[in-house]
Amino acid sequence: MLKNIKWIAAMMLTVSVLVSCKEDFPVDEDGLLITSRSQCYVSNFELLGPDFQTVRVENAVIDTTAQTINVKVFYGTDLTNLYPQFTLVTDAKLDPKIIGKVDFSDLSSPKQYTVVSGNRKVRKTYTVNLTVQTP
Amino acid sequence: MKNTCLYYFLVLIGCLTLSSCKEEEYAIPTLKQELQNDVIKRTLGPNLVGMDIEFAYAMALPKSMGKLVSAEVEATIAGGESTYLESRSFYTNGSGEDVGIEVGSKSVNSGGKTTVTFTKDTSAATLRYFYRIPGAAKGKEVSFKFSAQASNGQSVSYSMGPYKVAEMDLVLDLDVVDSTKAFISIEDMAVYTAATAGANASKIDLVYLYRSIPNITFSHGLVAPSAKTYLPSVILPAGATRNTKVQKVWNLRDFHLARLQYGVYIDDLDFQQLNISTAPNYAINMRAEAGVWVETEDGKYRAYVYVNSVNNSGRSAKISIKRYQMK
Repeated sequence: MLKNIKWIAAMMLTVSVLVSCKEDFPVDEDGLLITSRSQCYVSNFELLGPDFQTVRVENAVIDTTAQTINVKVFYGTDLTNLYPQFTLVTDAKLDPKIIGKVDFSDLSSPKQYTVVSGNRKVRKTYTVNLTVQTP
Repeated sequence: MKNTCLYYFLVLIGCLTLSSCKEEEYAIPTLKQELQNDVIKRTLGPNLVGMDIEFAYAMALPKSMGKLVSAEVEATIAGGESTYLESRSFYTNGSGEDVGIEVGSKSVNSGGKTTVTFTKDTSAATLRYFYRIPGAAKGKEVSFKFSAQASNGQSVSYSMGPYKVAEMDLVLDLDVVDSTKAFISIEDMAVYTAATAGANASKIDLVYLYRSIPNITFSHGLVAPSAKTYLPSVILPAGATRNTKVQKVWNLRDFHLARLQYGVYIDDLDFQQLNISTAPNYAINMRAEAGVWVETEDGKYRAYVYVNSVNNSGRSAKISIKRYQMK
């Protein structure tokens, strides 16, 4: 009986040692995991109005080479209160973060967003160009 | 010896476990030898002037002790004319339908009191009470005292409330038609025609219009008189210049306005906390079951205009409004 207890104790000790040796993964200032991925692009873009309905007339045209996102929005869209939504490649993040309504009304100086890769080493700045539908 | 002790111990644990799981035997509750009553409130959401607060008032006593004589509800603020206590007692039949059986005379209102005198020999009944919220109760609290009397002299009562009556105003099913009945006044909670709009030009907060313009989606719009860009070929009455803030909303089907199955209510607090300072002064491409938050130019009123239905061929829509006075 005593022998068994000794064995069990030894096993538990080994397991706890193994668990405690787990490698710590690095995280960035936002608490997000820094990975080895270097891909850095926007895969989809959506633009919602204050009623959370899309204001896009058609799909956004994302040019990953020129780093531009061209969006055509409905006539009468309230450009001062829009919620942009970016879909990014795995592990990437956006800078600046979108925390609420964004004012896109100044069409002469389009908004810019930077995509940061999973390894946090590649940064690509995308320009969001809006055009409003006209009659 | 050691093993024997262990077995005894296990048996003891087993016995304890079994005994603790013993089911309690059901006993038929003993009937209370007195007149009893109970009330439930059937309506939900904010209480608005012109609408009902509904209760179900149940009362009963053992048959051997006598029968019900009368039931009464006393409201702290007298209800509107159509306030009544149902003189029928309802039961639900096998098909799930509520079936009413006449048990008393039609209710009589006297001040805040509503009384039903029983005409049937009954010892148990559930009567529904519909309190039509009067204008006098706006913004105040109202309480109710339900009471019942039995033939053996016993009486019982049950207090409900207080319930706060909202400050909001409500108007339902206003028809708006492009270029004819198109001028909406939040201040008056009314829609003016082209002919009557002139006399009320300074009170017009929104203009309804329907346009089918090639290459764009315009359709049904609610536009402030000052937003000329979005009022193509609309002739405004002289003096209609209000710059109303308008914020489009989707998926907010207030139960009072929409009367659909969604249990969503806009309350005074929603208007108090509403912030549409950055909103534009127009809303186009409106659909049925959508709405707009509105703030009048002087900031005196905030409102929610709900679009009940739209009719493209008739260039018209049906709207309902909830309004809250800020100042």
